[in-house]
Amino acid sequence: MDDSKTLNLNVRKDFPILSKKILEKKDLIYFDTAASAQKPNTVIDETNDFYKNHYSNVSRGVHTLSVESTFRYEDARKKVQKFLNARSENEIIFTKSATEGINLVAQTFYEKFMQKGDEVILSLIEHHSNLIPWFFLRDKYGVVLKFANIQPSGEIDIDHFNSLFTNKTKIVSLTHLSNVFGTELNEKAISICKDKNVPILLDGCQSAAHLKIDVQKLGCDFFVFSGHKTYGPAGIGVLYGTENLLSEMPPYQGGGGMIGDVNLEGASYAELPAKYEAGTPPLVEAHGLGIAIDYMNKIGLDNIIEHENEITKYAFNKLNEIDFIEIHGGDNKRNSIISFNIRNVHSHEVSSFLDVEGIAIRAGHHCCQPLMKHLGVNSTARLSFGVYNSLEEVDKFVIALHKCKEFFNK
Amino acid sequence: MNDLINDLYQEIILDHGREPRNFGECEPYNKSADGHNPLCGDNLKLTFLLNDQNIIEDIKFTGEGCAISLASASLMTEKLKGKKIEVAQEIFKDFTNLVSGSDEDLKVLNEEDSLYALKGVGGFPMRVKCATMAWHAFNQALKD
Ligand SMILES: Cc1ncc(COP(=O)(O)O)c(C=O)c1O
Repeated sequence: MDDSKTLNLNVRKDFPILSKKILEKKDLIYFDTAASAQKPNTVIDETNDFYKNHYSNVSRGVHTLSVESTFRYEDARKKVQKFLNARSENEIIFTKSATEGINLVAQTFYEKFMQKGDEVILSLIEHHSNLIPWFFLRDKYGVVLKFANIQPSGEIDIDHFNSLFTNKTKIVSLTHLSNVFGTELNEKAISICKDKNVPILLDGCQSAAHLKIDVQKLGCDFFVFSGHKTYGPAGIGVLYGTENLLSEMPPYQGGGGMIGDVNLEGASYAELPAKYEAGTPPLVEAHGLGIAIDYMNKIGLDNIIEHENEITKYAFNKLNEIDFIEIHGGDNKRNSIISFNIRNVHSHEVSSFLDVEGIAIRAGHHCCQPLMKHLGVNSTARLSFGVYNSLEEVDKFVIALHKCKEFFNK
Repeated sequence: MNDLINDLYQEIILDHGREPRNFGECEPYNKSADGHNPLCGDNLKLTFLLNDQNIIEDIKFTGEGCAISLASASLMTEKLKGKKIEVAQEIFKDFTNLVSGSDEDLKVLNEEDSLYALKGVGGFPMRVKCATMAWHAFNQALKD
């Protein structure tokens, strides 16, 4: 490495999969954390232990195992509450994913607060997960969707965003950290919503493990993320919502666990958070998420963020020096994500080539087809970093990129 | 260089990826379909002219995609032009088996065929869809 700098954090050994050899001989360099993060031993061991020693259904029985399971499930909720700095555990709803959280809000918020002709503001950089649930409202109920433009830097054009509000604007839903550009949402977008008294949902899929989240300070009304991107299991997600809104909105799905009293004429619903958790929840996964949060806390989120910022900056500067590389977005700060293309080489080729070098990156549209169309590309290659990455890996990656360019332009 | 990569990107693939043959739209045509790979956003439009003896008189495609999807479409049009539809369907089956690493014996394709160059895709299961996109569009056009 040319500036012979190593970083303080070295937690690679905590992640067993990182000792896997790709194609039997290449060390794995995992640069696809934005798609899904790898899992530390503690998460793997603790979820195993749950099944081996404590497993039963939650909140459904009085026997010992039911108590142990319920305790773990509810303890995870407390950990998430602290992680997001929510006011109360009632504001933490477990879902199966961020996607489910957005669908839940779109459907139930509409039912309580909206009607035909009302408006929702989104932006051009949204993930399909933060588009399609709102498309459903447009198609089914005649809701009007408006999309904030983005600037060449990859940030939302705040003036344009501001100009989209009317007295019919009922809710805003924006990504907190772009999964393509790695750029953070301008806080002004949130304060504009506050000023206009319009609730805002933040899609925190990419920010939850890479920025310090304080939902009260942020001032958002809803915040969603997925466990699998924060070193926890897949199949568990979190919806944070203010108690005010969550108590007014109707339940999402019906089933066991979300009721108060049922007779054949009807039912009353459980209090928060159970009201939104119909059916047996992903309880082991919730526990796994809690353990992942413990893991991040133990290292210290500030340390993780600093580590990732160093790597991101280093990689950005390296890529920026290479004339055949085009980086998407401007020179502004990125958090753990960089999208790029090798000129005249499709991102698929780049990804397959790097794969046999043991390097995992994402190639494609990143579930952001409207953004790809706006950028005038049909796919990009994306690097994304996690707590386990290092500067040495970036160096190896850069060497492989040169080889790749040479191979395809021979 | 790694064998897998050399198998995947044989010279003929790189060549057809860079300069696809039969790129454009047939005039006239009576069959067409769009191919789309939702995983990556690659897409193409296939058009062809089927005459009254069920022979593919002309076949062309347009679109954007990776080297594998472009080369596959290009080689497909070269192979299918002038073929009777029944033969084309046999080739379609063989080709799908070839790239998906199936053990089934090939009936009409053999190692001499330029399409055989795409066999290396079998080493990259996530790329099979790139190689079959044009072929599925062809199959779709026959059904429509
Ligand atoms: C910004 C953003 N939003 C939403 C999602 C959807 O997450 P999930 O599929 O876990 O629900 C992702 C993950 O790809 C994402 O990056």
